[in-house]
Amino acid sequence: MSGTGWATWVRGNDRAPPRVATPVRLIAVGEDGRHALSGGALGLGSLPMSDKTRGGEPGSGTDPDKVARFEREALQFLDPLYGGALRMTRNPADAEDLVQETYMKAFAAYDSFTEGTNMKAWLFRILTNTYINIYRKRQRQPLQTGSEDLTDWQLHEVESHDSRGLRSAEAEALDRLADQDIIEALAALPDDFRMAVYLADVEGFAYKEIAEIMDTPVGTVMSRLHRGRKLLRAQLEDYAIERGLIPAQVAGPAGEDE
Amino acid sequence: MSCGNPHEMDCSEVLDKVYEFLDGEVSEADRARIGQHLDECGPCLRQYGLERAVKALVLRSCTCDQAPEQLRVRIVARIRQISITYRAQDD
Repeated sequence: MSGTGWATWVRGNDRAPPRVATPVRLIAVGEDGRHALSGGALGLGSLPMSDKTRGGEPGSGTDPDKVARFEREALQFLDPLYGGALRMTRNPADAEDLVQETYMKAFAAYDSFTEGTNMKAWLFRILTNTYINIYRKRQRQPLQTGSEDLTDWQLHEVESHDSRGLRSAEAEALDRLADQDIIEALAALPDDFRMAVYLADVEGFAYKEIAEIMDTPVGTVMSRLHRGRKLLRAQLEDYAIERGLIPAQVAGPAGEDE
Repeated sequence: MSCGNPHEMDCSEVLDKVYEFLDGEVSEADRARIGQHLDECGPCLRQYGLERAVKALVLRSCTCDQAPEQLRVRIVARIRQISITYRAQDD
């Protein structure tokens, strides 16, 4: 199964919506056998939480109990997965497609999930992989494509804020920002930074878990968190100034105080 | 940035670890040392307060995300459909 195939199938810009195309594909998945999507295809091969199988006796893929068990164990994380998908894709239609695709892949790979391990982290890992393999490749947004390198203006933004010093009143001012400002500031972060921040601050995953979900070393997770939060803070401070929550003459607009 | 007073742990070390401290990813020993430093050092405490505020804001803005009910219905229907397809092939 090629990446291109998935990309065009799941949600091509110029093709029929996935809810029309999906049933056709699902049959094709079934024809590949019950392990239609191997751990390798999902990029899950090295994931410690999924490297043991549950037994895999013949016929396990047809077990109606498996469906009930999956619904009970996996569907409880629908809201957090949707929230994560919303942060990744930044629009509800893509978020729904991404979550649905994630659950289809998770169900296909369910036999490789080790019971008793972290189901939520496992699902987030599939969500992240699906997003990277399908959605991010389609998006033509160079500034958003998960670069580890900050652009000059972004670096300047951070520098100018750091050199300005910090005021305790600023924390209170930030608290008065509307949720929409926070969401926009998050959306403006590079993908990898945004996801690291989301996984840590909203889902409360430990660094080690984020490293597994994002398939990256813990040090990289820490770096993404560090830089993502600095950018976020700088952007929120700008919003607070724009909204009149921090007097501009005290805080100074970003980028004008070199 | 520093208050200029000597501390058991340097301001720079505290600020380096402020995110790990916030995320509960420091050792017990570091946790105590950083906590003590924040009690003693106004500038570091303000920085910590600001980072803590940003972390709390992210959580606040994202906690009410709820998946549409029809998405749940659709996913359940697809999973059951896959299962039926498997069984039909095995029969």
